[in-house]
Amino acid sequence: MNQNSSDYLLEIKSVSKSFGELHVLKDVNLNIAKGEVVCIIGPSGSGKSTLLRCINFISPPDSGEIVFDKVSWRSYRSKFNVLANFRYEKKLPALRAEIGMVFQHFNVFPHMTTLENVSLGLQKVRKMKKDKAKEVAAQSLEQVGLSDKLQVYPDQLSGGQKQRVAIARALALNPKVMLFDEVTSALDPELVSGILDEIRRLVREGMTMIIVTHEMKFAFQVAHRIVFMDQGKIVQVGTPEEIRNTQEPRAKAFLSSILE
Amino acid sequence: MDSSVPLFDFAAVWSSRTLLLEGFGIAMFCATAAIILAMIIGLLIALMRLSNSRFLRGFAFVYTQLFRGVPLYVLVIWVYFGLAIVADINLPKIPAGIITLALLNSGYLSETFRSGILAVNIGQSEAAAAIGLTKRQIKRYIVLPQAFRIVLAPSGNQFVDAIKDTAILSIIGVPELMRMAQQQADLFYRPFEFYTTAGILYFIAVMGVTKLFSFIEKKMNRIGFTNGSQKVANVGEYI
Repeated sequence: MNQNSSDYLLEIKSVSKSFGELHVLKDVNLNIAKGEVVCIIGPSGSGKSTLLRCINFISPPDSGEIVFDKVSWRSYRSKFNVLANFRYEKKLPALRAEIGMVFQHFNVFPHMTTLENVSLGLQKVRKMKKDKAKEVAAQSLEQVGLSDKLQVYPDQLSGGQKQRVAIARALALNPKVMLFDEVTSALDPELVSGILDEIRRLVREGMTMIIVTHEMKFAFQVAHRIVFMDQGKIVQVGTPEEIRNTQEPRAKAFLSSILE
Repeated sequence: MDSSVPLFDFAAVWSSRTLLLEGFGIAMFCATAAIILAMIIGLLIALMRLSNSRFLRGFAFVYTQLFRGVPLYVLVIWVYFGLAIVADINLPKIPAGIITLALLNSGYLSETFRSGILAVNIGQSEAAAAIGLTKRQIKRYIVLPQAFRIVLAPSGNQFVDAIKDTAILSIIGVPELMRMAQQQADLFYRPFEFYTTAGILYFIAVMGVTKLFSFIEKKMNRIGFTNGSQKVANVGEYI
């Protein structure tokens, strides 16, 4: 990529994270341009999900920097200055509101109808009036094909439908980038393609996306770039073509084990 | 002489029914007021125990240990006589009784609430944070409503305990059911009849509370209010 740094929507700069003795991320660097679709692949435990969760500080990185839309974000926690911690925590929601995220286990809110699931953020984060929020939420749910399920509680939905609610919930806020964290891994096989189609729709609409996935065929189809991670490090970044023909031993071993 | 006295005679109970029902009303009032107060305090203490501040966590821990550890008998004497001696606060009997029960039950409920909050799947908070909700909003709209469903049954138990614990308030002279029963029993020399009647009244109150809580629980299950993935109402089919 020959863009200069100001062209990037998202820059991950030497991000590291460990859980106790376990170093999950080791000095990870990655830049994402606006409109780019990046798929992260790699063996389980390689740090893919953790990297994704560091971007919106759901799992704050131990060190390093996230530059999003030219604004720099770093983890902060003071042992003594409670007020500073409080002020820092007050700021984070502004970053997260611009970053949509969809999870492996859906995490829809079980005590709210699908419509309420989607309109909550519009009301509380985007400060819309209740009626307006419901209207926008209904549109968002219609786009994922759930217009007949607005008043239904999640326990009456299939896994695929729950995941659509989660996608609508994220998209309704009109985020600048979407993060997908193994969003088809908990689905029954016959429901996977429907969710992947939703992501393809976003690709066509030019959404910037970072997708952690085990669906290799899909990843190689939609990605502009593929990131191969192993043991907490980015081993290789390249176009799908470059990664397919990689000579890097670990990437090669991983791909041959998966693609047969 | 004794043989001329009937074995059981509830006539005296019937003649004292107004006093007994008054006592019953006061007992229920004390228990209800105390449990409402205890829920508010218990929730605050639970949130303190889960906060980032070491000071708040420490305070909440000591609070919980203290009021769970002290027998009700001692606690009621502390609040009624102790406060008057130490701080010159002379509480009337009924408020002193309510505060005592509220302190004791808030200690237990804070632990119930804490475990209820922790039982809400962490993914719920993460998803709520990911759409940009603040910590406070996450608690208010996502975590607490789901925790409420989880702590409903144990809170009902606590209410039942509180009703029966009002009996202890008789030692500071709160004119509740047990004290009334005691006085009337002494007056008529009919302890068995009066205490049994009191027992039946407590039992009815406990039944009522149990019914009320299972009604609320059913109502919540009907609107699809489940904890994470499993539907709580169906558990009976398997165990």
